[in-house]
Amino acid sequence: MFRIFFTLIIIFSSVSAHPVIFKNGKVFWITQNPSFNDIRFGISKTSNWLIGGRILQDRKTDETFALMNNNYLVKRWNNKNSQANIYLLSSVGLNTENSESMATVGIHGDWENRQFMVMEMLEYYSYNNAWVSNTRVAYSPFKVDYSKTSAWFIAHYRVEYHNDSYSYMFFPVIRLFKKNYLFELGSNGKNSFLSFMTHF
Amino acid sequence: MKKAIILFLLLSFGLSQSKVSIQDKEIEINENEAVMEVLGMVCSMCAFGIGEGFSKTDFIDKSKFSDGVSVDIDAQYVQLGLLESANINPEKIVQVIQDAGYDVSLLFILQNDKLTKFGTDKLGILQPIAFNLTSDRSN
Repeated sequence: MFRIFFTLIIIFSSVSAHPVIFKNGKVFWITQNPSFNDIRFGISKTSNWLIGGRILQDRKTDETFALMNNNYLVKRWNNKNSQANIYLLSSVGLNTENSESMATVGIHGDWENRQFMVMEMLEYYSYNNAWVSNTRVAYSPFKVDYSKTSAWFIAHYRVEYHNDSYSYMFFPVIRLFKKNYLFELGSNGKNSFLSFMTHF
Repeated sequence: MKKAIILFLLLSFGLSQSKVSIQDKEIEINENEAVMEVLGMVCSMCAFGIGEGFSKTDFIDKSKFSDGVSVDIDAQYVQLGLLESANINPEKIVQVIQDAGYDVSLLFILQNDKLTKFGTDKLGILQPIAFNLTSDRSN
């Protein structure tokens, strides 16, 4: 049932929007990328700290982890018509089959204005001793009002370092968002990428 | 006496509706409204958090705008409808914006026929700015 849920709904990455949201705001987030299925629910206790739960499934080994997720906004620069952020990310929990402990740590930096966005996220996964880097450059050709749908075209470059070897993937991704809903879809012909997020 | 009454009426009318300028855009502000320049507000998901924050306060007049809040991402400002009976504390307004993750650089409040302007200093602390009601009506 769990796998069907993933297969039907997801397809993407965990790199789509801000890891911390407004105070007392809740976020529900489903992503699938070539490595993971990932479901998250979180609450921003303050405007710089989000805590939540996460179910992470390794698509290659079929291992599933139940994790507690903790995101911290280290610094935000609010400027006229632009914003930049640095976040620290972490998750701790257990493998649901053998109860072995697992942790992830990461750092996320981004800058965006109404039409351009750049982002880098680096994460470490303890269970397989892997490093994953996600880099994005995005452009939105249309500045739209709050109530309209915003479209972004994203170049997404993913690098994984695992077992002394690197793997590289590039995805063109389209992002659509309107008010508190965000949807992303990407594919490079071999691999696909899907994400859905809502704030409430 | 007649002239004095006319002058009084003109001034009263002028002060219950005024114009303020944010990022070179003139914005009409009416009695019991606030307008503020918000820094860092670059997307609609950002703006959603601001609306959610104000919906939980007790000083918003939800009959104005969209549930009391109007957001213009292009010009980077937020306009609020304020309850006439509410005792408005400008720091509370700024706190809602900060809880959403953004900063206020300018805040105008028109209430009781008085237009008040606030700005944040280098430490991010809100300070009233001297503001002549008659000559600065179009700030």
